[in-house]
Amino acid sequence: MFAWTPERTKRLRITLVALFVVLAFGAWFGWYKFFRVVPQPPFATADERFKYGSIGGEDSAGIPYWIVYVLPRVFPDKLPGPTGYASFGFSWEEGTELPIGFTKKTIGFPRVANNCAGCHVASYRLSPDDTPKLVPTGPNHTFNLEAFFRFLVDCARDPRFNAGTLMAEINLAGDLSWIDRMIYRFVLIPITRKRLLERGPRFAWIYNHGLPQWPDWGRGRDDAMNLTKYFLTTSPLDDTLGPTDMPSIWNLKKYKTNPGTRMNFAGDSWDANSVIIDSALGLLGAGPANNRMFLEEIKWLTKYLEEYQAPKFPLPIDQARAAAGKAVFDANCASCHWSARTGTVVPVQEVGTDIERIKSWNKAAAVRSNETVRALGIERRGLVEADPTGYIAAFLDGIWLRAPYLHNGSVPTLRDLLEPVAKRPQVFYRGYDVYDSLDMGFISREDQAKRLGTSWDAVKAVATPYDVRWRSNGNMGHEYGVTLPQGEKDALIEYLKTL
Amino acid sequence: MNRPMDDPWRWRFWTLLAIVVGVPVLAGVLLALRFLPDRPVTYANIEDHFKYGSTGGERNAGFPLFIWKALPVVFADKLPRNGATGYEAFGMIYEKDEHGRPRELPVGVMRRRNLGLDRVFVNCAVCHSTTVREAPDKPRKVYVGTGASHFDLGLLEKFFGDIVVDERFTANVLVPAVERESGGKLGVLDRNLVYPVAIALMRERLLMLRDRFLPLETEKWGPGRVDTWNSAKAGLSFVISGLPEHERRGAVDFPSIWNQRKRKHRDDGQPMQLHWTGNNVSVEERNLSAAFGTGATPRTVDHAAIGRLEDWLLDAAPPPFPFPIDRAKADRGAAVYTKHCASCHGKSGQDFSGAYVGHVTPVAKAGTDREHYNSYTYELATNQNVLYAETRYRFTHFRKTDGYANMPLDGIWLRGPYLHNGSVPTLRELLDLPEARRATFYRGYDVLDPVRVGFVSDVPEENGRRFTFYDTKEPTKSNRGHLYGVGLPPADKDAIVEYLKTF
Repeated sequence: MFAWTPERTKRLRITLVALFVVLAFGAWFGWYKFFRVVPQPPFATADERFKYGSIGGEDSAGIPYWIVYVLPRVFPDKLPGPTGYASFGFSWEEGTELPIGFTKKTIGFPRVANNCAGCHVASYRLSPDDTPKLVPTGPNHTFNLEAFFRFLVDCARDPRFNAGTLMAEINLAGDLSWIDRMIYRFVLIPITRKRLLERGPRFAWIYNHGLPQWPDWGRGRDDAMNLTKYFLTTSPLDDTLGPTDMPSIWNLKKYKTNPGTRMNFAGDSWDANSVIIDSALGLLGAGPANNRMFLEEIKWLTKYLEEYQAPKFPLPIDQARAAAGKAVFDANCASCHWSARTGTVVPVQEVGTDIERIKSWNKAAAVRSNETVRALGIERRGLVEADPTGYIAAFLDGIWLRAPYLHNGSVPTLRDLLEPVAKRPQVFYRGYDVYDSLDMGFISREDQAKRLGTSWDAVKAVATPYDVRWRSNGNMGHEYGVTLPQGEKDALIEYLKTL
Repeated sequence: MNRPMDDPWRWRFWTLLAIVVGVPVLAGVLLALRFLPDRPVTYANIEDHFKYGSTGGERNAGFPLFIWKALPVVFADKLPRNGATGYEAFGMIYEKDEHGRPRELPVGVMRRRNLGLDRVFVNCAVCHSTTVREAPDKPRKVYVGTGASHFDLGLLEKFFGDIVVDERFTANVLVPAVERESGGKLGVLDRNLVYPVAIALMRERLLMLRDRFLPLETEKWGPGRVDTWNSAKAGLSFVISGLPEHERRGAVDFPSIWNQRKRKHRDDGQPMQLHWTGNNVSVEERNLSAAFGTGATPRTVDHAAIGRLEDWLLDAAPPPFPFPIDRAKADRGAAVYTKHCASCHGKSGQDFSGAYVGHVTPVAKAGTDREHYNSYTYELATNQNVLYAETRYRFTHFRKTDGYANMPLDGIWLRGPYLHNGSVPTLRELLDLPEARRATFYRGYDVLDPVRVGFVSDVPEENGRRFTFYDTKEPTKSNRGHLYGVGLPPADKDAIVEYLKTF
C-alpha cells in the first residue's frame, strides 16, 4: 500500500524543487528571449532621436531584425527598384545601419519598426554627383510608401517566405547563436509570416491601384485620410481616393501662435498634438503598449516639431530681385499666404483644385476616429467633426523644399504653378532628388534633366510617373499670378526662396 | 543470497542498454570525429600563409578538394580556349613544392578540413599575387601583394556559372571523377553519402550565385580586372539589369596591397581614402569587404587568420626592381617628379607624404574613364552599412566620393598596366598624351618591360598560350585622362620613369 514514508516525502520535495527550477528557468528564458525590454541607447542629438527613436511601434508592428534584413535579398523581384531597401526612396544616411524612420529596439529579440521620420525627412542634392542632404521634418518626396506596404505583404504571400530560404540568407549575413537560429526558424519566421499575411486583407484597397481610375500613390504621397479610416477605425471600404503629398512638419508652433488655424490639407484636425497622435497610432497599428510612455514621446515630438525651423534655401539669392518679388507677393499672394486667412480653410469652389481629397473624409469618419482614440484612453482635441469643405491656405515656410506643389503634388515646380492650368505639365516623374533652382522643384521632366546635365535614365530609374489626367491627380485650380509678366514671376520666385 | 531470476534479466538489460544507447553513442562519436573537425591549413611562413592559408571562407563557399580538382577535367570543354589546361587557363599559378613537383593547389587557393572533407576556395592571394619573368627565357617568380595582373577572375566565375547548369553536374558523373582524383581511396560513406550531398549543396549554392552574378557579364572583365562594386551589388541581391545602364559596369585592376600602415595617415592626419574611388578610409573594413570575395561571411570569417594577414600587410613592402637602375638619371627624374607628381603620389615609394596623397581628385579633373566611378553609387554605399550587422565589425565607412583617389606608388613597376582600369600598358606611355598611348594591347603575358616599365604587352601568344586582347575603345577600358606630365620633354619623362623604378 502507498504511504508517505519520509523517504517518499523527501523524493517528492526534491522533484517539486527540481520542477520549479526548470519552470522558473523556462519562464526566465521565455521572458529573456521574447519580452525583455532593452531601452534604445541614448541619442546624441534631438535630430537623431527624431530619425531613429522608437515611438513604441516595436510591440505591435515590430518585425524581427533579421527578417527585415534579408527580405530584399530573398525577394528583390518584389522591390520597386533594383537597389534593395534604397529602392523605396527612404532617406538613408551614410554609415547608418537602417534607413531614417526605421527604429531598432530589443524586446526579447531585436525588432524593427517605423517612426515619423520615414515620411518626414526630406532629401535633396544640388547636382547628381552630390550625396543627398537630409532635412529632418521635411517632406520625404522620394519615399514610395505604398510600395513598402505592398512589399511586406507580397513577401509573406510568396512561397519563398519559409524558414529554410530565409535562414539560408540570414546565415550568410549574420552570426546568430544556435538558440537564436532555432528561435528564428521555428518561432519568429512562421509568426512573422502569419502577422504579415493578416495585414493583407486590410490593404486590399491598395492592391487595386495602378489604373487611371485608381492610380498608385507614387513617391512622396500617401492617402492619409483613407489610411485613417481603414486602419485607425475599421471603416468599410468606400470608393474614395485622396492621395496627398507628404507634408513638411517643421515649425508647428505657427499653428499654435495663429489661433483659428487648422492642420492637414483640408483642415481636418484641430491641432498639432492631435495630428501627431493620430499619425503615430497609424504607425503602431494598434493601441500603445504603454499609454504613459507613448504620450511622453508624443510630447517630446510635439515640442521638437514646434521648434524645428524650415531650412534656408541652400544657394545664393539675388536680394534685389527678391525685394522686388516681395512687392509682387504682397499684391498677389499675401492675402491667402501671409494673412489671417493663412492656415484656414479656403472653399474648394474658390481655389478650384482637385476635389477627390475632400471626398475621402467626412464627419462620420471623424466622429468614429475620435471615439476610437478616446477608447484607447488617450485625450486629444482630435479631428474636426464636420465634412470638409475646402483646402487650407498653406503657410509657405521652406516652400522651396516642398515640391511638387498643391495638396496632391500635381504641379512639379513653383514656376509651373505660376502658369495657367493648360500650360502646366501633364506627365512628369516624382521622387528624384536633384534640385532645379531655376524652376524651384525637383528634376521631373526630360528637358529639365537635359538642362542640368542629369541622365534622364537615372531619373526614371528611381522616380514614379505622374499623370494629371488620372483620378485625384488633377492639376487644376490655384490659378493665381498666372497672368503676371515674366519679370514679375521671376522676382516672385526669387522672393519665395527667402521663405 | 541466490536470486536465480536476476542474472539472465540483468544480462539482457545490459545488452539491450548497450544496443539502444551504446551503439548510437559510439556512432555519434565516430560521426562527430569524422564531420565536426574544423581545421584550417596554416603556414608558419607568412607569405605561404598569404598564398595558401585560410580566411574562413571555405566554411561557407569551399569546394570539396577532389571536386575542385575534377571540375576542369570533367568540364575541360568549358575552359577558356587559350591553349592552357586546368586552372592555368584562368592564369592561376602552380608553384613547385620542396621536391620540385607542382603543388596540388595553385597560389590563392586555401584549404580547410570542414564537414568531413578537405574544402578549398580562393583566398586573398588569388587576386593579389602575380608571376613575373625578367626575360622570356628567365624563370617565373611569384610576387605577392601586387595585383594579379594575369589572373582572369571573370572567366573563372563564368566557368563555375556554366558548369552548374551543365547536365554533367550530377553525382553520377562527378563522383567517379572524384574517385579518380582521390586515387581510388573513397570510402563507402564518401561515395554514397558525403559527395552526393556535397554536390547537391554545391549545386544549390552555385545556382544562387549564378543567378545573382550572371548579369555582370564577368567574361568581359579580362585578366587582372574585377568589377568590384557590381559584384558587391550582386552579393547584396541588387537587380543588376534594373540599374541605369551607366551604373552597370566598372571593371578595374586588382590593386597592390602593401604598406597599409602608411595608408592610415596622410598629411592632414586623416587616414587615406582607399579603393580606386577612395570610398572607404578604414583599412580593416576594406579588408573585410574584400574578404567577402573569399567566401568569408560574418559567420564563417576567421578573424584571427585575417588579422594575421592584416598585421603583415601593414608593413609588407614591394620587392625591388629586378634590373639595374641608372642612379644619375633617377636623381634627375626625382627632381622632375617632385615638381610634377609628388603632391598627389607621395615623395617616393617609401615616403607617402604629399598634400593630396590619399585624397580624391574629382572625376572630371582626373579625366580618366568614368565607368568605375559611376558604378559606385550612394544606394550601394548605404546598403553596405548593414554588412557585419549586429557585430562590432559593422561597416560604417563607405561613402560616395566625387572622383578617384590619388594613390601612393609603392612597387609601381610591378603594378602595370596602369590607371585604375589597367588601360595604359607602361609607365612611360602614361606620360604621353592618350593618343600616343597604345590603343590596343595584350594582357596576361608576364615578361617585364625594363625600359618603359610594365609588362610586355604586344605578345599575342607564347608556346601555344594565347593572351587576352585589350581594346581601349571598349566600355570601361578607355585610356584617356591623367594628363599630368604629358607636356614634359621626353628626356624628363624618361628620367621620371627611371626614378619610379626605385619605388
